[in-house]
Amino acid sequence: MNTFEKLQAIKNQDLKATDNLESFLKKIENNNSSINAFLTINKDSARNKAKEIDDKIAKGANVGSLAGLVFGIKANINVEDEIISAASKTLEDYQSSYDATVIKRIKEQDGIIIGMCNMDEFAAGSSTESSYFGATDNPAAPGHIPGGSSGGSAAAIAAEMCDITLGSDTGGSIRNPASHCGVFGFKPTYGAVSRQGLLDLSMSLDQIGPLADDVSGMAVALDTIVGYDKTECTSLNQEFPVFTEVINQNSEKLQDYMKDMKVLCINQFSDVTDDHINNIIDDSVAKIKNMGAEVVDSSFNYIDLCLPTYYLINYVEFFSATRKYDGRKYGYKIEDVCGEEVLRRIEMGSYISQQEFSGKYYKKALQARSLIRNEINKLLSDADLILGPTVPKLPHKIGEKLEPMEMYAYDVLTVIANLAGIPAGSMKAGEYNGIPVGLQLQAKPNGDVKIIKAMAALNH
Amino acid sequence: MIIIKLWLLFLIIGGITIDMKCGLEIHVQLKTDSKLFCDCSTNYKEAPANTNICPVCLNQPGTKPFPTNEKALKNALTIALMLNCKIDKDITYFMRKHYDYPDLPSGYQRTSVPIGYEGDLNGIKIREIHMEEDPGQFKPDFGIVDFNRSGIPLVEIVTEPDMHSPEEAREFLKELIRVLNYSECARGEGTMRADVNISLEGGNRAEIKNINSIKGAYKSLKFEMIRQKNLIKRGVEVKQETRAFLESQMITVAMRTKEDADDYRFIPDPDLPPIKVQKKQLEEVSETIPEAPHNKVKRFIEEYDIDEESAKTLTSELKLANAYEIVVKSIDPKFAAMWMRDELKRVLTYNKLDFKESEISAENIIELLNLLNDKKITTKVGQRIIEKMPKNKNSPKEIAEELGLIGVVEKDEVLDTAKKTISENEAAVSDYKKGKETSLNFLVGQVMKLTRGKADPGETVKILKELIDN
Repeated sequence: MNTFEKLQAIKNQDLKATDNLESFLKKIENNNSSINAFLTINKDSARNKAKEIDDKIAKGANVGSLAGLVFGIKANINVEDEIISAASKTLEDYQSSYDATVIKRIKEQDGIIIGMCNMDEFAAGSSTESSYFGATDNPAAPGHIPGGSSGGSAAAIAAEMCDITLGSDTGGSIRNPASHCGVFGFKPTYGAVSRQGLLDLSMSLDQIGPLADDVSGMAVALDTIVGYDKTECTSLNQEFPVFTEVINQNSEKLQDYMKDMKVLCINQFSDVTDDHINNIIDDSVAKIKNMGAEVVDSSFNYIDLCLPTYYLINYVEFFSATRKYDGRKYGYKIEDVCGEEVLRRIEMGSYISQQEFSGKYYKKALQARSLIRNEINKLLSDADLILGPTVPKLPHKIGEKLEPMEMYAYDVLTVIANLAGIPAGSMKAGEYNGIPVGLQLQAKPNGDVKIIKAMAALNH
Repeated sequence: MIIIKLWLLFLIIGGITIDMKCGLEIHVQLKTDSKLFCDCSTNYKEAPANTNICPVCLNQPGTKPFPTNEKALKNALTIALMLNCKIDKDITYFMRKHYDYPDLPSGYQRTSVPIGYEGDLNGIKIREIHMEEDPGQFKPDFGIVDFNRSGIPLVEIVTEPDMHSPEEAREFLKELIRVLNYSECARGEGTMRADVNISLEGGNRAEIKNINSIKGAYKSLKFEMIRQKNLIKRGVEVKQETRAFLESQMITVAMRTKEDADDYRFIPDPDLPPIKVQKKQLEEVSETIPEAPHNKVKRFIEEYDIDEESAKTLTSELKLANAYEIVVKSIDPKFAAMWMRDELKRVLTYNKLDFKESEISAENIIELLNLLNDKKITTKVGQRIIEKMPKNKNSPKEIAEELGLIGVVEKDEVLDTAKKTISENEAAVSDYKKGKETSLNFLVGQVMKLTRGKADPGETVKILKELIDN
């Protein structure tokens, strides 16, 4: 049963919202202690909400577009009364006093929020191992990292603990764990989803997006969270497509859709990627060719520039964003209690933003970013999509010690979309030795719907 | 040896005149209903501590600033234009200025790049003008931080080091506050916070922080000038440092030296995309800005041929200046200036009112001055009427009628009254005859009293003298 069908079933009361919730609660009860996808679960409020929805439907009252769907939320998105720890000791006691804009929208549409998902501390990581509350296991490849930083959100979907989760993506933090856990993950165009209420990692790169195990779930979630927010200055004030309308068509039409597509495969992307991953991506390329897409080999010459540019910006903005954790309002001073990656980023950010280096690092990074953005937009100016691997290598085993640069290398293919502000999604392309391999689709700004369509077609 | 010592003594006692340079950074709150980046109210003084707050102005984890308050931007632009600043027509954006202090809930203050620059006020050059957000208020005595003030828009005005004495700085600040009052865009001296830069020839620059009034600026400069002079005279180096002004003691104390000066690590705020100041918006502001007082003074002197003192007094308040310009359409400008500068201002000062609060209209003033011009009342009566005018619904004519003050007493009546006064005050008359001039004043006063001030004082003196002398 896909998400569209489930929503209909709940509306018809063939499936009660309460039963949908209880089956998830049972799975969480059985498996969360070993998977550690959720940091907190709020059974009472979720049960009350589910009952309220069932009652409304029984009375024939209107319900929202998400009525009865169960959501897990990354622990860096504010949900009123919940502990929003960002998986850090710094905020272990921070109980939020307000709902992020995306949470308001989910609540308005009768989505049920079940709990907060594990993540890398302050989203600064690609493995979810840096959580103060312990690592998350990969349900699709037990013993391996689920990726990160939204590892809890991806694992919750892979372990069928809820319908949809929200993650945040700064350099791949939604797409990377989606790839490792074999689920759908999507980072919208920068500004399409309000960041109001999202804890900062790198403000000019952060974007909230959904994870789910089917495309209709992604579309339903996007229709709710995408949209202009007048309280957030980087929010785009424009019309957005209705994602559910676009993919809610019969299957032949979806296949036809690929016929008009011009899809780029970037040589440099496969150059940096392990062969067994490339092989699986090649199968997908063959599949879309069969559907009638025009596939063109192309070149992106700035791939070596992407990681340094990304990390310089990330360090400086993260340093700035963490100044509020000075120990006065939230209990701990961040530098006193955080993990080594968070500390590294703060110290690097503090170092390179010094007045004496003004213009040397951060400004250069911003210039490099413009260059990368222009180049990507040029590539996409006469193409619909870029298709390639999401992550260049398979997930390591939990606890395996990686050097920082090895860890950063996971992000090389995903940071581009954040630097360029373009939409990008990841879906499962296949498996290697039982470990999921993700395929990444990228489009020009506001081309979000093309990616969702292509995902629907490829998944067909 | 003795000669050298004497020479040194001379230097120390006699003093050498040392040139002083002073520049100011003045912060004043902009007049808006809501804060710069959220919808919270700005009446922080009336509200109980920590009630005008929301997650945004508390900078709770995850919050983002709302779009910049447009009224704040408009107010800052108005002030910049009134100070003859150039306006960057392109874009303005906010920087994050990082520092660690309990009143700063985000760990950085948002401060705009200059929205106006290269202005001037009475010959003092304005380097640049910024918008900023106010931090909260750390109150160690109460053990709290009150965030009601957090996020209230400020305008920061930075001058060049063009002032050469504490007096000059004080004059500049007075004039600046007057401009701000004229602009109706800022909250005035009560919300002022200033940093003062001062350097003396042969010394380094000291920055004094924590100044909250014009008087404080003056006193701190006086203190600092003497302190630095004494150091220079003794041959001690004046360090480049930041000092704090202690208002209670009117002294400055060292805060930190250049070596451990803060590095604010400025970065453009990623949450606030650059704002384009629209040409249309700028034109709107330009069309509606009030003429700055110093420009008005110049115009009054030229247009109405009045002296500088009068022009300054008349422009001390925008509403007063406006009233004057209405009055002079039907009254001689010099005559009007004299009455409005001397008598009206005296009455306002006595009642501790400004002109606006007095509710006196230009029409009232015209009526009063016409009564005087037409010799329907005497100067003395005019003065009495004007004393009754503040917050009075009745017109001057009605006041005069009510008090029975209309009309100038004819010479015959004055003569009769004078005779009566002389016969009833023999002691005073004889005193005067003995040469006691003040006794005559007493007698004049008696005549004025009996005629209810309707007698002409000059005429009365003449008549009394004639009567007594003959």
